[in-house]
Amino acid sequence: MKLAWIPFVFLRVLKSLRDLLWTHVLTSGTMAMTLFIFGGFLLIQDNLHSLLKGWGSQIQIFAYLNNSLASPDLQKLIAAVRSYPEVESVRFVSREQAWESFKKSMGSQSSLLEGLQAEILPPSLEIVLKMPYRERAPAGDVAKRLRGLAGISQVEYPEEWVERLSVLVLGVQWAKWIFGGFLFAATLLIVGNTVKLAILARKDEIEIMQLVGAPQGLIQAPFVVEGMIQGIAGASLSLLVLWLLFLFLGTELPNFLGIFAVRDQIHFLDVEGVALILSLGGLLGASGSLFSLRRFLKV
Amino acid sequence: MVQLFRVAKIYPPNYPALKDIYLQIDKGEFVFVNGPSGAGKTTLLRLLFRAEDASEGQIVVNGRNITRLDGKGVAELRRELGLVFQEFKLLPTMTALENVALAAQVVGVSRQESKRKAFHLLRELGLKDKHDARPPTLSGGEQQRVAIARALVNEPMLVLADEPTGNLDAETAEETMRLFLKIHERGTTVLLATHDTGVLKRFGCRAVFLQRGELVGDSKQESGEARL
Repeated sequence: MKLAWIPFVFLRVLKSLRDLLWTHVLTSGTMAMTLFIFGGFLLIQDNLHSLLKGWGSQIQIFAYLNNSLASPDLQKLIAAVRSYPEVESVRFVSREQAWESFKKSMGSQSSLLEGLQAEILPPSLEIVLKMPYRERAPAGDVAKRLRGLAGISQVEYPEEWVERLSVLVLGVQWAKWIFGGFLFAATLLIVGNTVKLAILARKDEIEIMQLVGAPQGLIQAPFVVEGMIQGIAGASLSLLVLWLLFLFLGTELPNFLGIFAVRDQIHFLDVEGVALILSLGGLLGASGSLFSLRRFLKV
Repeated sequence: MVQLFRVAKIYPPNYPALKDIYLQIDKGEFVFVNGPSGAGKTTLLRLLFRAEDASEGQIVVNGRNITRLDGKGVAELRRELGLVFQEFKLLPTMTALENVALAAQVVGVSRQESKRKAFHLLRELGLKDKHDARPPTLSGGEQQRVAIARALVNEPMLVLADEPTGNLDAETAEETMRLFLKIHERGTTVLLATHDTGVLKRFGCRAVFLQRGELVGDSKQESGEARL
């Protein structure tokens, strides 16, 4: 690309944006819708992922002990568990402590527990893992080894929830690309048709440029730049709408969010996410233009 | 400058527009391509600036075989040519100056230099006061002079003109023809297609004759009486 061509391309882009303003606005709007849906999935996925990480950091393993475990065996068991390289701390919870804690958690309805005794609850060990091991796989591995130890009757950790959330994150991740893929293909066709209109509007100019020997790249460049501008404009619009919606959900529906106790944890797309949407917009516009140019522009 | 060896052009399904053409045009020559409508004059010129592919044969322009060229090659070839058409092919939304400068800009000349060159050419062709006018406000002769200026702005070695006087009245046509002779006098090779036989007599240049796609005469190779 020669330097003299830069103002040439720039002026042609400006002229086309002015002459076909509403066509370009409509195309940008269509791209904004596609990118809004994609961005929405990205936002959900991102937040679920953070949530999962947060939950992961709180992973504790509860090992319920046999009622008949004698004190020396208990000390040995605690020492054995502490010796695991993944374990940060081990806390013994006696029947009485468990009972008190249970009663406390029942609050005003603790009267329902009248007549029952602490013996119904088993003593347990609350095991906190070291930070790098607070994930599903290492936690599962530790739980498996604990189950093999004498004196432990049952082992529990929030495995099910973590697994469900992981599956949900994976589902959103796939849905983002599947829905996004279909929408991108449809948007490509729409962008292609806009470029076709732009080509028809400048048919004579293109023919004359071809006759005087303009390089193919110079003929195509204004259309590709236009496509990129449309895409980036559409992406910016989609991000704006997504952000407004995010603000609305954060302020207008606090109770709903409060149920899940995640209100303070949700966040908008980070810089990388925003850059991804903007780049996809530009790429979508440019590739739509090139796709159309190959179909309609022949030397 | 231009050589055609056994060139044929067949349009689908089986219409032969040109048959077995041998032609050589030397550097600096002025050659009329003459013949009635449908003789193949336009097709011959279109093959030379590669708007069409030859069905058979080889074409050499300025030492380069142009029979098979990719898009880049076609663009390079056209930058060495000046093209003039019957219907002018000017952009109505641009001024005369912008129309001429466009041809220079697309080959990489700066905007300022393109406009300077275009301005000088328009002045040379008698359109000094018309450079800001848009084509629809110009007469046919003036539009054709703008088109000629555009063809010359990149200083081509070869000018191809397809019926350049076809849309002009007799007087303007005569002026336009003299303009082509002036261009030729500067050393540019000119190949001009026309169905007007009167022009050949008045200007006395080399003429080749086409009829139903065949080259049926060449004043250069014929005897003195055939020379017009």
